This record gives sequence, C-alpha cells and structure tokens, in this order.
Amino acid sequence: MEFLFDTATPLGWFIVKTLVILGFVVVLLISLAFLLLADRKIWAAVQMRRGPNVVGAFGLLQSFADFLKFVLKEAVIPAGVDKPIYALAPVLTLVTAFIVWAAIPVAPGWVIADLNVGILYVLAISSLGVYGVILGGWASNSKYAFLGALRSAAQMVSYEIPIGLVFVTVILLSGSLNLTVIVEAQAGGFWHWNALALSPITLVMFPMMVIFFIAALAETNRPPFDLPEAEAELVAGYQVEYSSTFYLLFMIGEYLNIVLMCAMIAILFLGGWHAPFDFAPFTWIPPVLWLAIKIGFAFFMFAMVKALVPRYRYDQLMRLGWKVFLPLCLGAVVLVAAWVTFAQGGG
Amino acid sequence: MSELRKVNIDGVEYEMPGHLTLMQACETAGAEIPRFCYHERLSVAGNCRMCLVEWEGAPKPMASCAMSLNDLRPNRDGSPANIRTNSATVKKAREGVMEFLLINHPLDCPICDQGGECDLQDQALGYGRSETRFEEDKRAVEEKNMGPLVKTNMTRCIQCTRCVRFISEVAGVEELGLINRGEGAEITTYLQANLTSELSGNVIDLCPVGALTSRPYAYNARSWELRKTESIDVMDAVGSAIRVDARGAEVMRILPRLNEDINEEWISDKTRFVWDGLKRQRLDKPFIRENGRLRGASWNEALMVIAERLKGDPSRIGAIAGDLADIESVKALKDLMESLGVRSMDCRQDGAAIGGQAREGYLFNSGIAGIDEADAILLIGVNPRVDAPIINARIRKAWLENNAEIGLIGAAVELTYPYTNLGNQPADLNELTSKRNPFVRAMAKAKKPMIIIGMDALTRTDGAQILRAAGLLAAKWKLVREDWNGFNVLHNAAGRVGALDVGFLPRQDGLNTRQMLDAAKKNDLDTLFLLGADEIELSEIDDTFVIYQGSHGDAGAHRADVILPGVAYTEKSTTYANTEGRWQQTRAAVGPKGEAKEDWKILRALSDNLGRVLPYDDIAALRASITAPKTSKFDPAKLGKAGKITNTALAPNPNSFWFSNPIARASETMSRCASSQSAQLEAAE
Amino acid sequence: MNRVLQFIRSLFLIEFIKAFGLGLRYFFKAKATLNYPFEKGPLSPRFRGEHALRRYPNGEERCIACKLCEAVCPAQAITIEAEPRDDGSRRTTRYDIDMTKCIFCGLCEEACPVDAIVEGPNFEYATETREELFYDKQKLLDNGDRWEREIAKNLELDAPYR
Repeated sequence: MEFLFDTATPLGWFIVKTLVILGFVVVLLISLAFLLLADRKIWAAVQMRRGPNVVGAFGLLQSFADFLKFVLKEAVIPAGVDKPIYALAPVLTLVTAFIVWAAIPVAPGWVIADLNVGILYVLAISSLGVYGVILGGWASNSKYAFLGALRSAAQMVSYEIPIGLVFVTVILLSGSLNLTVIVEAQAGGFWHWNALALSPITLVMFPMMVIFFIAALAETNRPPFDLPEAEAELVAGYQVEYSSTFYLLFMIGEYLNIVLMCAMIAILFLGGWHAPFDFAPFTWIPPVLWLAIKIGFAFFMFAMVKALVPRYRYDQLMRLGWKVFLPLCLGAVVLVAAWVTFAQGGG
Repeated sequence: MSELRKVNIDGVEYEMPGHLTLMQACETAGAEIPRFCYHERLSVAGNCRMCLVEWEGAPKPMASCAMSLNDLRPNRDGSPANIRTNSATVKKAREGVMEFLLINHPLDCPICDQGGECDLQDQALGYGRSETRFEEDKRAVEEKNMGPLVKTNMTRCIQCTRCVRFISEVAGVEELGLINRGEGAEITTYLQANLTSELSGNVIDLCPVGALTSRPYAYNARSWELRKTESIDVMDAVGSAIRVDARGAEVMRILPRLNEDINEEWISDKTRFVWDGLKRQRLDKPFIRENGRLRGASWNEALMVIAERLKGDPSRIGAIAGDLADIESVKALKDLMESLGVRSMDCRQDGAAIGGQAREGYLFNSGIAGIDEADAILLIGVNPRVDAPIINARIRKAWLENNAEIGLIGAAVELTYPYTNLGNQPADLNELTSKRNPFVRAMAKAKKPMIIIGMDALTRTDGAQILRAAGLLAAKWKLVREDWNGFNVLHNAAGRVGALDVGFLPRQDGLNTRQMLDAAKKNDLDTLFLLGADEIELSEIDDTFVIYQGSHGDAGAHRADVILPGVAYTEKSTTYANTEGRWQQTRAAVGPKGEAKEDWKILRALSDNLGRVLPYDDIAALRASITAPKTSKFDPAKLGKAGKITNTALAPNPNSFWFSNPIARASETMSRCASSQSAQLEAAE
Repeated sequence: MNRVLQFIRSLFLIEFIKAFGLGLRYFFKAKATLNYPFEKGPLSPRFRGEHALRRYPNGEERCIACKLCEAVCPAQAITIEAEPRDDGSRRTTRYDIDMTKCIFCGLCEEACPVDAIVEGPNFEYATETREELFYDKQKLLDNGDRWEREIAKNLELDAPYR
C-alpha cells in the first residue's frame, strides 16, 4: 500500500497531490460557509439585528441550509439564453476562483505549487475571473445582466492596474515573485511586516495596503463597489437570470475571491503565517492559524465596509480608480524603487 | 283637454297642457319626483305618497301623481300656482312617508335579490333616517304561491299595488289583489293559484322592492356583477327589445328594454325566462354519425364529410332554414346552395303558404304600435296569447282604450278581452259578407280595421286558399289604403320574415319543405341541410344524409348524420326581421359554447371546403351583400291561390307556448311552467 | 480652505474611521429586533391577518351570499357563487379568496353585514405551493372554527370604536 503514497513515483505523487488538493478544497469550502455566515452576522450586528439564528446553534448551520436550498431548487433556464455559455459562466468563475489558491502558501512548506512567479500566477488567474461575469451577463440575453456585465468588466479591468502596481511595490521590497519568499522576508515580529515595518518606507507601504484593500473591494464587486449587481438599478446584474446551483456556483466563486483577497493582504502586508511576536507564547500557535486569524481580520474589515459605506456612483468609481489610485500607486512604485536602490543599496 | 295651463315650478313659470299630472309637469321641468306606486303605463293609484310636492297655499303637500294641472287654482292675485318640489316641507313630508314605509320593511337587503336595483333602497338613501324610532315588532306576511316564475317575499311588500294593476290592466287576468286593510293589508293571488298570464314576469320589474323576484334567478347573481348587452328577442316574431345580463360566460337573466313601437316595456315570460335553456342541451363540437352512433369530430373532418356530400347531384339536395335562423346565415346558406345549383330550399318549415308574392303579403303591415289605433280587429286562425303575448296585450289595450270590436275565426280560446266567435271553419271567412252580422257592420264602419291572420290558418294544406279568402275580405273592406294598411300576418317564428326577405324559397322546379320531406321518405333526396330546423317530421327519413347546423341538440340533431355546432341568439350579433318586417340586430352577450361558431362563419368555411368561396370575409361584407327587400304595389286580393277550402276546423298550434323552439325545449323553467300549468288545469277540472 | 480640509479628510479616510467606530459601537449594542419565531410582538385587535368565515354559535354559517365583499374588494380577490339552499335560504356554493391577490385592506370585513368574513389574527400561513393560497369556502370555514375565540375577542374589543 505504501507505494501509493510514495511521492517519488509519478503515481504516488499524483495520488498524494490529489488528496492534498481535495483536503484543501474541503477546508476552504467549510471555512467559506462560516465566513458567509460571519458576513451576514456582522452586517446584522451593525444594524442591531440578529441575523440568521435559527438553523443550528446561533444559526451556525445557516450556510449549509442555504447550500441545500440552492441545490434543491428548480434551475430555471430562461428562454433565449445561449445555453452552453450560460452554463459555462458560473463554472468558469468557480474554477478560476479555486485554482488561484494553488499558489497561496498557508504555512511554511504548505503550498500546493510553490511557484517562483506565484504572485504573477495569482494576478493572471484572478484576472480570468472577469470572463465568468462577462459570459454570464452576455449569455443571459437580458438587459440587466448585460449592463451588469459591462459595468463589471470595466470595473475589474480598471482596478487590476492599481492592484498590479501594489504588487510591484511588494515585489520590489521582497525582491522575489515567490509568495513563500515574500512571507519569509517578513519574518520576525510585526515590526518586520511590510505594512507595519519600523522603517520610513512604511509611510508608503501602509497606504499601499489600504489602496490594495479598497481595490480588492472593487475587484470582488463588494459594496461599496457592487455596481455590477446593484439591486436598486440592475436587480442582480449579471446574475439576474441565474438560479439554483448555477447561482450557487457564482456565489461560491465570488466569496472565494474575497477570501483570496483577504489572504493576499495577510501574505503581502501582514507577514503571512508569522506571529506578530517571535517568542512564546505567540510561537506556540501554529503558523497556519496565524494566517487564518489575519485572513479573518481582513474579512471582518470587508464585512464592516459592506455595513458602513453606501454604494458609489459609477463615475465616482471610475474616477477613484483612474485618477486617484493609479497616480498614487505609480508614485509609490517610484518611491519604493528609490528606497530599495538608494537606502538598501540593492538592485 | 290639452288646453295650456300656466304653472310655476320651483320658481320658474311654465306653460303646459292641462291634462298633465303634476308629476309629469315637474318631470318636464326637470325636477325629479320619487315614486313607488305610480307607473306611466298603469292607472294612477296614489297610495304610496312618496311623490308629495308642495303647492304653496295649500294646507298639506299634494300627491303629484294623482293631481292634474287642471286641478290647480291660480293664486289670489291671478299669478300661476306655485309648486315646490324641493322645499323643506317636501323633504320632511317624504322623510315621514319613507319612515312609515320602512316601519314594516324587513331591511334584509343583503339577502334580497332586488338589492342594488331597488327603488326603496335608492330613495331611502335620499329620504331615509339613519336610525329607527319604531320599537314594536315588525309585521311578517306569509309567502304567496305565484307559480314557478315569480318568487314572493311578501314581508318586503310596501303595498304599492303596481303588480295588481299590471295583472288586471295589462295582462288582463284578474288574479292578484290587495286584501285586508291597515297593517293587515297584503297582496294575494286568487285562491293561491299560479298566475296564468304569459306576461306575469313583468311584475318582477314593476315591483319597486324585493317582494316579487325572479324564481329561476333567485340568489344567482347581483345586478352589479352583470354585463349588460342590449339585444333582440327571438322567442316569437315580435322582436322585443331585451337586455341580456351575463356574468362570465353565462347568461344570468333577460330583462325588457323600452321600445314604444314594439314591446313598450313588457316582455313575455318565455322571453324572460328562457335563459336556462341556453345552458343545456348545447351542441359544443361537431359530430359525425358512424355506425348509427354520433361521435365527436374536428371541424375539418365534419366539413370534409359534408363537402363530399354536397358535391353530389344538386337536384337531389335540399336545404331547410329553421325558425331561429338569422338573416346573415340564411343569406349565406342561400348563396352557397345557389352556387351549387341546388334549387330545393325553403324557410317555411311549417309549410306556411306565404312568400313569393308581394312583401306586404307576409308582414304585419299595421305595425305593432298600429294596433293601438285599431277599432275593429278580425283574428283568423291565430291565438295571439300563444303566438305573441305582447301583441295580445296591445290588442287588449285597443279594446280598453278604443273600445275595439274583436272577432275571431278559429278555435275558441281564452283571450284577455271579449271577442265575437265567428266560427272555427276557415270557410266561415266567405260567410262574412252578410250585413246583418254585427261584427261585419263594425268592420265596415271602422276607421282603422285590421285583419290578423295567423299560422294556424296558413300552415294548413289549404293555407294559400285561406290567404286568398282573407285577402279578398281585406280588399272588400278596403283595409289597404294610403294611410292605413290593415292586412296583417302574425308570425310565430323569429327568423321567418328575414328568410322570406332574402328569398330563401324554392327556385324554379325546386321543392318546398313538404315536398322535400316526402322526397326524402321515398329516398329521392340524397342530402338534406337543416339550418336549425327542428320542427319538422324527420322520423321516417331513412337513407337521406341529414346535415344539422344549430345550437341545441333537439329533433334535428337527433336525426342528423353530421352536426355543425352553431350559436344561440345571445351569442351572435346578427339581424332578425320581426313580424312587421322591421330589421333589428341582436348583440352577442357571451361567447360561443365550446367549439361552436357563428352560423354564417360555418357556412363560409364550408364554401371554402367546397371550392366555391362565398365572396365575404366578415359580417360587414356579408351584410353589404344583402339587398333591402323591395316593396311593390300591394293588392291583397291577389294574395294566395284561388281554390276550395277544405272543411276541417282550425286547430290550435300543436306546439305549446312553452316549447315552441329548441331553446325553450331545453329550458327547465319552461317545462316547470308547462307542468304547473297543466297541473293547475287538471285541478280546475 | 475647505477644499484643503476636505482633501485631508478624504486622504486619511477620516470619515471612514469615524463610521467604523460608530459601527463598532452599534455592533455590541443590544439587538433591537425580536427573536421572531420564539418571540412575537403584540397584535392590535384590528390586525388584518388571514381570512376566516365565521359561524353562529349554533353552527350555522354566517355568510348569506350578499356579495358585498366581492363587490368592494379592490383587488378582486373574492369570487362568490350562490344559490338557494335546500331549505330555501340564501347561501354560497362557492366562496373563494385568492390570497395571492388579496391586499389585506380589510374592506371585505367592513362591508360584511353579518360579520361573516373577517381577517383574523393569524399571519403565519405560508405555504409551499401557490395553489394552497387559493382558499375555498371549506378552508375559510375551518379557519373560522380554529380562530373563533380570538376573532370574537378582537371584535368585542374593537366594538366600542365602531
């Protein structure tokens, strides 16, 4: 039996990798269920509501009930839709959302594919996510869906630029495209983290984290930038014609992207799996848990923003992306490059 | 009588004919006078006191219905009398009257069928108090049996006596009356017997409260739910103006509409209560007979089968139009038959000896309103009470108001006015020459004499000869003059005059109804097309292929080999000519039942299948193709045929009043009427 | 000056930080909502919930088929058919309310001369299928039997104000 799990043989390697991936997916999905619930609970708490509280203790099983509901509902496929593309769109969203996670290191050595260009991979694959939105909106053969998809495409493309430039600043600092290396570069207490380092460059990097956070909101179509699915104008944007499992796939994909963005914040700016203090008792907590806590914090911020900030107008959204974030990020890249060149004497 | 009088109504001075009542004068002046007992077609009773108006100077308010302008004295200074219709006194007086009326009225409006169209309800809104001061017990009155048509609820009665006056004055049967007095006063029937009048349903309309309501309609619908369609009745040849009230796809009731020239505001009970016949025995899809059994078929299938048949030898094809066929469908059938070369067609399924001569020869030329002016009337082979109750009421009116002499040749029947029976042999017509006969003298002396000849005489085999004899009499008495035409044929079929007008009669060498049926019996006829013809003897026809097109599964459909479902008169907008030759249009109140289609459309579709497309695609084009009937110089002496009149007595129409057409035969109400009538007759014997 | 201030405020996300603080404060405040399926709010006697057809204490149905509710219903949700019952009294043969059309205005209740159709205190009658919301006479009478105590109490409480 043991040969099956011997990573030296191709078969063993395949089986082990598959099991790892499966385990990863399961853990991701289950944590997603609770994050979804947390999202609703936080939103409710800020509004002095109770939020879901009937299914399971404190409503803990609400997401599973919703999952069952979505799966068991009748899938209404409207007349006039382009069926293959209509069915492809949610699958595309889901698959791209999952495969990004291959390059995300969750603990030292705990990564499915330790790519040397991990950060580029993340950027590339998450850009593909926009196809799901566009195809879904196009194939639905509906005005609302189409308008939602148009907005979404423009929005996601616009905000990928500041995100890319923020990545550049981190890459410059760490000197690597490998996410594991980026995390390791921040080892040794929170004063080494990119966003909080005890160094003048923090004055640039902390704002970069904020910009990344805001751009991530826009990239994942979260409030206040949920224009593609603005329910007041477009009912549900590109998802309007979707129901049942198709809709579920879209939703899982969307939330996976959000969690991914939270993970990126943790990895790029908050030291990844490193404890904030490199001594006991903090080091007793396993690294993977530290990453989870940081992701959780970032997600809490996502949820709070949803509860606090009203939706942007479309022109405001575009203005913010192109006229504010782009110049700021460009300036930051120059500053960081200068810092790296002259202060650290690198390059 | 009509001397103009001056009167001051609500401060405006008018000059009006003195014979007007105060109420009429006030209405002319535009004031609205509430009333319960007063009705313009009935005698004045003056017992409800609702129409009180104030005559300034008089000690008490006046009942305006019972006071004429001639009764008014001018004021002391010579100025015209001042009448107030809306002063505080008037309002107080009417409120007092209303309070008295409501003392014994049960106020059960929610369960009352009159609710929503009740005079008392409407006027209580204006003159009623919101709370009662009456603390004693209300009275209750026993229900009366008025037969299967009129439902009573006598506790609601306010003793206006409109019903009593209608039954005795217009209907002419004294079967209702007011007995006792004061709180004990109640309307009752004579010995609790059913009303025997054919106009009894009109008391339901007349009753200002819910004391007399329609029994078949009881609790079925509310007036506000009904879709009202103004139409024309086809139960007899009078063509009464009716209003068809429908809810959804069902006709819920039929009410009269005002038409002074025809039915005034009355309709016969058959007209009013036949509506349940529209829901039963209906043909709702085409049928084809296979191995002796009818089976449902598609329109296409049925039309194909018929088209195959009609392509045969045209001399062996016949067509008969029934009593309820409208002008449009008869015209379409005629055009179709002519295009096929068929010569045997007839609209006189009873074999009446009319048509083919001058149009006046088959019309009621005096007009129904003309009866009012007549002062001598000879009825020949007709029982107007059965054939046309509305015309019977008119004749009664002529007798009441003009003191008209009425004579009858035919079976002695009970009419609602006295008449001289001049014998029941048609040959007795020829005897009406003797100057010693008082009726003949009255006829000769009369300013506007009338002859009304009916179907009992004309449908006999010697009908043409009887028609000639009647025509000769008319010529002799000079009934046809410049200003007056006293020669009248009274039809009993709504579609007959229209079909005669479009000329649905045998062509050269064609067969008439009797000959067609005889030929069919001898298998000399291959195909017989019946357009709603049910009152013919079909039982002995064996091999002839019978096509029946109509609305009800009656005698014709029973024998038919193919059935095409047509529509009834409440479901189509088509034209009928009444016995006067007046063309009137029905309006569709509801849609066709099931797969049924309007009759002319069926024939148009059939013409398509035969490859002989009729040249009209819509009803307007069809109507445009119908030419108005020509009037020519009319000489009554040339009517009919010379010949010997057989020596048999005139027999009354075998079709009972209640069962004269397929719709009536399908109606449960009609059979209930018939059975209660015969039960009452038996009890009387 | 104002524009400079505004610029600084937006640059440092002052508004957002303030809002965040406010949100956090509310986050820990007591909940304003009821814990619904386990707690319920008080209902007025005039509450207009699920419809019911009442009976007299002797079991005779009150409705006399006057059709006033049908006439007054602004949503045309009520359909009534009537005919004389065997004992000659006026009764409905059909009394349907399409609860999907009903707007719960209470006019049927107002119009009823015999307090037969009422809108009771029940509001928990969600169904799985649309068809179950097409109430017929039997369903309404059953509702009346089930809720009679509450309905009678409510009518009594509201009577002084009518």
